[in-house]
Amino acid sequence: MSSALPPPPPPQWVVTLNSPMPRPTKAANSIPDPPGFSSNRGGKQQKQQQKQPIEKKPEETDALKLKKAWEIAIAPSKQIPMNAIMMYMSGNSLQIFSIMMVFMLFKGPIQGLIGTNAVFAKFETPATRGRLLGVKAVYVLVQLGLLALGIWKVNAMGLLPTTRSDWLAWESERQPLERAHFAFR
Amino acid sequence: MRLQAALFLAACVSPVAAIFRDEVNHIDFHHALLGAPSPDSTFFVKPSSASNASLLYTISDKSILGAINPRDGALLWRQDLSRSDAATGGASLLRTSDGNNAVVGAAGQHISSWTAQDGKLIWENQFKDGVVADVELLELEEASKTSGPRDSLALVAGESVGFVRRLDGATGSVKWEHKDESGDVAFQVSSSPTEVFYISLQSALLKGHKVKVTVLDPVTGRQIRQHVLNSENDIATPESVLFVGANVASPLIAWADKAQKALKVNIIGTKQVQTINIENASGHEIRQITIHAPHKLNSLPHFLVHYVTDNGAWAEVYHVDLKSAAITRAYSLPYLQGQSVVATSNIDANVYFTRITESEAVVVSSASHGILGRWNIEDSPKERALYAVSEAISKGKSVVVRAAILRESGAWDLIRNGQTEWVRHEGLIDAVAATWIEPQIQESLAHELEVEGHESLVGAYTHRVKRHIRDLEHLPEWLKNLPQRIISSVLADEVTNLDSFGLAKSVIIATKAGRLYALNTAEQGAVAWSVQVEETSQWDVKSIVTRPGEATIYVSDGSSATVNVSTGEVTSRSAPKNVKLQSIISFDSETTIGVQEDGSLATTFEKSEELLVTTSADGRVLGWSGRDNKSPAWEFVPPSGQKVIHATSRPAHDPVASIGKVLGDRSVLYKYLNSNLALVTAVNEKDHTAGFYLLDGVSGNVLHATTHDSVDTTQPIASVMSENWFAYSFFGDVLDESSAKGYQLVVSELYESSIPNDRGPLDAAGNYSSIHGNSGDSLPLPHVVSQSFVIPEPISHMAVTQTRQGITTRQLICTLPESSSIIGIPRPVLDPRRPVDRDPTSAEAEEGLFRYAPLLEFDGKWYITHARDVSGIKTVLSQPTLLESTSVLFAFGGDVFGTRATPSQAFDVLGKSFNKLQLVLTVVALTGGVAFLAPMVRKKQVNLLWKAN
Repeated sequence: MSSALPPPPPPQWVVTLNSPMPRPTKAANSIPDPPGFSSNRGGKQQKQQQKQPIEKKPEETDALKLKKAWEIAIAPSKQIPMNAIMMYMSGNSLQIFSIMMVFMLFKGPIQGLIGTNAVFAKFETPATRGRLLGVKAVYVLVQLGLLALGIWKVNAMGLLPTTRSDWLAWESERQPLERAHFAFR
Repeated sequence: MRLQAALFLAACVSPVAAIFRDEVNHIDFHHALLGAPSPDSTFFVKPSSASNASLLYTISDKSILGAINPRDGALLWRQDLSRSDAATGGASLLRTSDGNNAVVGAAGQHISSWTAQDGKLIWENQFKDGVVADVELLELEEASKTSGPRDSLALVAGESVGFVRRLDGATGSVKWEHKDESGDVAFQVSSSPTEVFYISLQSALLKGHKVKVTVLDPVTGRQIRQHVLNSENDIATPESVLFVGANVASPLIAWADKAQKALKVNIIGTKQVQTINIENASGHEIRQITIHAPHKLNSLPHFLVHYVTDNGAWAEVYHVDLKSAAITRAYSLPYLQGQSVVATSNIDANVYFTRITESEAVVVSSASHGILGRWNIEDSPKERALYAVSEAISKGKSVVVRAAILRESGAWDLIRNGQTEWVRHEGLIDAVAATWIEPQIQESLAHELEVEGHESLVGAYTHRVKRHIRDLEHLPEWLKNLPQRIISSVLADEVTNLDSFGLAKSVIIATKAGRLYALNTAEQGAVAWSVQVEETSQWDVKSIVTRPGEATIYVSDGSSATVNVSTGEVTSRSAPKNVKLQSIISFDSETTIGVQEDGSLATTFEKSEELLVTTSADGRVLGWSGRDNKSPAWEFVPPSGQKVIHATSRPAHDPVASIGKVLGDRSVLYKYLNSNLALVTAVNEKDHTAGFYLLDGVSGNVLHATTHDSVDTTQPIASVMSENWFAYSFFGDVLDESSAKGYQLVVSELYESSIPNDRGPLDAAGNYSSIHGNSGDSLPLPHVVSQSFVIPEPISHMAVTQTRQGITTRQLICTLPESSSIIGIPRPVLDPRRPVDRDPTSAEAEEGLFRYAPLLEFDGKWYITHARDVSGIKTVLSQPTLLESTSVLFAFGGDVFGTRATPSQAFDVLGKSFNKLQLVLTVVALTGGVAFLAPMVRKKQVNLLWKAN
């Protein structure tokens, strides 16, 4: 239609927003803050920003990360005794509660194993990568231990096909090569 | 596994539930049979003087005394009077009269009196000196006034001696006795209100018999007078006497001359013999003359003579003048073509004759020839009527008659107002063989499925699609019937109509009289058709082989007949051969091989890789190879003088669901499964030993043998085999302190090895040979576990329930002759691995084993016949259905009984408590609720969304 018009001047509020606040006057500075108003707003950020550069020693961070990682790796092992007692107590009968408990017992370790890398991702730095392998291995072992507890429980419940009777259906009757007919009355 | 174990346990602990009251007559049926009623011993009689309705009493040719409700033909009570010791024979007799409250029956040497109402024994008497030839109730004038049971007169015929005895009506004791030592044939006894007549047949000098009448005093039994009637020219045998009148005001004796031109009648007590000329206008020879006279004391002295020729019949009615003893002809019933029977009935003193022909029933009074009632008989059976009994009731001026007619086929039917009220097929009591029928319809489907099985995958698929498209032509019909089916399934007694699941089976039964019956188990055992195949009284049917749509009956004389199973029409016959067969076996329903009495084969057996095992009459078991039909391949002769009396093998349909038994610790005890096993029972009657031998049918080797000492070999010894177990029962006497006296039931199970998880020497081999074995040339022996139980009753026959796949636990079906019932003992009870003298361990308890108890009491829930009195059963047949839980049973031999057996309960059928209507209403209500609430909820949710912002 018509050629592009020059953009209209920005509105006043935009100008005010973009321009820095006017330096407060001395008099204004002398005005005491209202009660409850903290003048150092965003101080924490400032502090952290100030601290970070102070603690920025990579070795210490890595050691800390590793320590944390070890804690996480060992944590599931604390569940083993409790789970073992629970499983022992719940009995070997097939009931909804014992089935649910066994299900949870399997769900936890399997999810943990799948998410192994994700769990340790935040601790992974080029420096810690090598040392985290051991941590991960321990973590996997502990999860496998939990899994073993679940398998023990499932076996105790008789759900594992470990006995001859479980394979009976695949065994077949022996067929005679000769056939006899009986003409009895 | 645990779940399976739990299910198995549940199946074992409550293996059988007794039949429910509302299932009676729904899942089972029973024909309580008597046998063919005897002509002179069948009556309509009021059971007590107080009752209005009368019952139909009869004694049959099997000496079974019974009372029938004439309304529906149901048997009210029956008593079997036949005794095994009364081998002397003699006819079965029954006498009773209105208001007597008792019926007197006699068979052989025994005479007994029973309450008319419920068939309880009043008294019983046995005459060691002869058989009862005749019985009459004494109708004295003074006695008929009193209410107690009447005294009876019994004529006992010994060897050249005759006794007339008056028996007390209440106790059966002999009041007086008249002994006749003249050597005459004791023939009949008769009485008038004042005198007792003893009629004997005196042998004349040259030939024939003279009728001798001895008049006795009814009170003392003293002989008053005696006279002889000259009849030697006419009476050759006792059968020549046509009639000896009983208890009419003027008893009479009648016979015809040899040329059948004249009828000689004598009023008993008088000396004169009156001759009545027979006016035969029909031009045909007279075949049969019967005389019908009322039996009641105060009835009019009229009688009817019925003449039967080959083509028709007529009758003459005569009146007797009491004072002059003159006989005058009153009127005659005209000659009619076709068969006819006459029956007599009374209303007070009036006598009515009912004449029943093929097309109509006519009632006349004895006084005049006017027809009082006439009914057209529709759907009359074509079989010849042998005789009839009738009962007349006056309705205003007319008379209503119901008549029970015995047909030649053995059917006994009641006709009232020209309608057949009920039919009792008494001929079924002689059943000798029976088998299940395969209907024609299934065959086409089976054929189609077979075609599919043989084609390639694609071909089979297209074939099936084509078949289903073809089946669509039935769709409109199916849709049309759908509403009706839904309604009927909701309202029906049974939740699902199970007939389509193979529960509606038909059975074909062959009787000794040469007749075939087809019974439908779905319709309470109704007779679908019956047909006379052979005119014989000793039809020795050995085997009935069925093919879809037809059945072939093989008789011991080598003849056979093929019938169409849906109509009963005989389609083909084969002539008898000059052989006497003891059994017949059929292969693939085409080839049949007869086995002669000596165990040899009557026809050639050509299957070279197969063997045929037979028993011989002299007590051996023979194995015949297809290669050599001349001499047996092997022979089993039981040791120590024993003779084979019975042999059995596994049923033809005996599927095994699991080849091993899972123990409590999940190990497996492998079953010894061999389809060639035979269980042979052999007895030595002198030493009283019984041996049970488990033979391998191919090699003839004895795999297992047990011998029992001091066995009563006269008692029934039954045995049965199935799967990996066998059972037998016998009566064992005391031998030493540890042995038990009584009926014993022994159960044995066969395993491949005594060690769990072990399959024995053959191990995992897929095949085995009894002859060409690798090691030692013989089959490995089974590990046998046995347990015996003492049972309260003898077992005469054993069978096993059969189901489609053998998953359901089996029941041992035992026929108990003493309690007239059939029992189904659950297999878990008969497990020989039950722990002895200790409680089961937890592992054993998990298997369902419980502590062994030597005495096996029959649980009331095991009786599949429940309250029914099912007597005379010789064989029980079992047949699988499409439902795995259910097996249909059919028992025959005396009574006919059929039921369904669910040994592990009907786990695949919805129970009666399942309410389809409720289910549908619940679904409808829920759908309605959802439809009503859904908009409301949706509206609320939308509102919530708006409120949140």
